[in-house]
Amino acid sequence: MAVQAAPRAPTAANRLQPRRRSRRGQATPYLFILPFGLLFLLFFLLPIGYAVVQSLLSSKRSGLGLGAPTTVFNGLGNFGDAMHDPAFYAGVGRVLLYGVVQVPIMLGVAFILALLMDSTVIRFKNFFRLAFFIPYAIPGVVGALLWTFLYDPQFSPIVSLIHHAGLTSFDFLGENTILWSIANIVTWEWTGYNMIILFAALQAIPGEVYEAARMDGCTGIGVARYIKAPLVAPALVLTCVLSIIGTLQTFTEPQVLSGISNNISTSFMPNVYAYNQAFNANNYYYAATLAVILALVTFVFSFGFLRLTQRYSGV
Amino acid sequence: MNNRSQSRWTRGLLTALVVAGVTAAGVAPRHAQAQQPRAVVNLSFWSWVPNLNTSVDLFNRTHPGIHVTWNKVVAGNLGTYAKMFAALKANNAPDLGQVEYQFLPTFEATGGLVDMAPYGASAYKNQFVPWTWSQSTLGNQVFAIPQDSGPMAMYYRADLFAKYHIAVPTTWAQYAAAAVKLHQADPNLAITDFPPRDAGWFIGLLWQRGARLFRVNGNAWKVAINDSNATAVAQYWQTMLSKKLVKTDPDFTQGWFKDLQTGGAATWLSAVWGANTIIDNATGTAGKWRVAPMPQWTAGASVYGNWGGSTTVVFKSTKHPKEATAFAEFLNSNTGSVVKMIDPLKGAALYPALKAGLDQPAVVQPVTFYGGQRINTVFNAASAKVDVNFQWGPTMDQVFADMSDDFSNAVNGKITLVQALNQLQQSTVAHMQKSGFTVQQ
Repeated sequence: MAVQAAPRAPTAANRLQPRRRSRRGQATPYLFILPFGLLFLLFFLLPIGYAVVQSLLSSKRSGLGLGAPTTVFNGLGNFGDAMHDPAFYAGVGRVLLYGVVQVPIMLGVAFILALLMDSTVIRFKNFFRLAFFIPYAIPGVVGALLWTFLYDPQFSPIVSLIHHAGLTSFDFLGENTILWSIANIVTWEWTGYNMIILFAALQAIPGEVYEAARMDGCTGIGVARYIKAPLVAPALVLTCVLSIIGTLQTFTEPQVLSGISNNISTSFMPNVYAYNQAFNANNYYYAATLAVILALVTFVFSFGFLRLTQRYSGV
Repeated sequence: MNNRSQSRWTRGLLTALVVAGVTAAGVAPRHAQAQQPRAVVNLSFWSWVPNLNTSVDLFNRTHPGIHVTWNKVVAGNLGTYAKMFAALKANNAPDLGQVEYQFLPTFEATGGLVDMAPYGASAYKNQFVPWTWSQSTLGNQVFAIPQDSGPMAMYYRADLFAKYHIAVPTTWAQYAAAAVKLHQADPNLAITDFPPRDAGWFIGLLWQRGARLFRVNGNAWKVAINDSNATAVAQYWQTMLSKKLVKTDPDFTQGWFKDLQTGGAATWLSAVWGANTIIDNATGTAGKWRVAPMPQWTAGASVYGNWGGSTTVVFKSTKHPKEATAFAEFLNSNTGSVVKMIDPLKGAALYPALKAGLDQPAVVQPVTFYGGQRINTVFNAASAKVDVNFQWGPTMDQVFADMSDDFSNAVNGKITLVQALNQLQQSTVAHMQKSGFTVQQ
């Protein structure tokens, strides 16, 4: 902790001078963040508010209904519908299962790669650092499209390799495998990003700590386990929270893969469901409801995770 | 910076911001108030039909007071419908747009289409193929001008049928038998692909059988997605699926195009516009494909289904409904305009809904790719026998989505196609009732 200066007691000399602090000077910091504040208001807060308002409305029609519907206030009715919607539950269950498997694997791989990058035994570190990071630099849609050609049984070199090796052909787009094919794409894309964050945290560990550990007789894996891992814990918690938030919102990969697979239903994951409700089914109000629920679930999970790991995260 | 200059700087910045804001707000109204001479009416038109500029230019030349701008957009299902719905909600939709028949009731249910009858559109009724007009109107209201249609027939690889000595099927029973023979002769071949997520295709088959999924009964909708005709068609295809006689890949994908090229699929039950799909994506098979009428449910019958086809509509937010109606009528009924759209090379190879258009030489000419066959004579005959009473429902987006999901489950063996239809019936009725439509079952 930095040593704080003791507050100055009002001396006799100070009391004689009038206070010269200008009130207008206090506005300057707020002026500096005004541009960001305006944009944040316009593109974050207002749309969120609009979505919340939309989620409380619904449209009503009667008879043949072939005319403009009327918009009525529906209170929490839409939320009730979502709670009774089996497609929504299936999507949420699916995304949670996906997250529980994919996030630990991805962060585990990222951590091991970061440790390797930080060690002294690896050569060509700059090349590997770039190579692992490049998938993140590729736009998500482009990456998913690349992988459609690696998954499509007619074009995939992987499938034909498996076929030539004599094993029964493997269907990446089958009912039971499509979820893990998506997990594969996401892991490929985000591992490098998480690795960079963890690597930066590892680089920030002062050398004296290693010296002290060496003097105490700690070597190799022990250093990784007892020194590096605990000191990198805050960064790990950060990447974990970011991954949880990202995973709950998965959209790009299912959307792109739905073009080549029969097994991505319109309610495959909550974000896909909200998108299809808004833009294919014209249920703007219900889509807003789904989006609000998804935001709340994400908030609960990420905030809850931070609470759980408060000891380690330094937050 | 000391306090005084700091506050002066702050004041100056705030003043500049306020002045800028007031000026910007003040400029806009002044433009609107400026006097304009008698202006040309500008209309915008969203359509994904290629090479429409020829017809649009023809209209602009012959109608000096109106100028139509054509915006080429992607196909409706690939995002343009979503754009149109969003624009209607924001009240800044284009004046005119292209909408397929199956989505007309959905658009009507948003209240976003202009009734063109007050502007004289009813006079065009007898110029169009009857079922296209009946799907574009509701009672006396004319919500769309028909542009093209998609009567269905069977594209088949004549060379494969000859190679394995299989007669070209004329009934569905013969089709199933041909499927068995083909699969036995070469396990890598299948008679066709069954795409579970292409509801429009399957509904075309239901249409042929005479299934009436939706009916307007006074002030209520009668929904019968699983009526006896539909169930019979589902049962037929379930048998084909169970015996693994068909592929189940999604259609219009790279893998599916490859099947067209390599003969993985020996037939394609498709609409008239499918002719170009094959030409564009299976160039190596030139001369090997032919077109035959759709197999029939009873020998000797001739009933056909339709898949696709679109219309031109006028959106509610337009400020010039009269001029927009005039353009819609001209585009789809003026001989010069229709001939340009029909042109297979310089136009859109459109199959017109205009009765006079069906006799045009460009429509019935021999097509080299299909071995010189005049393929459109098959489609002309089919077009005349498409059931005129088929009606689309007001929530086809939900029906298509649910049908895709349910049929995908059927293809994975979880349920049968007949059960899928029953589930679809239940979910459609529930959704329509929830949305406020009056439904009878």
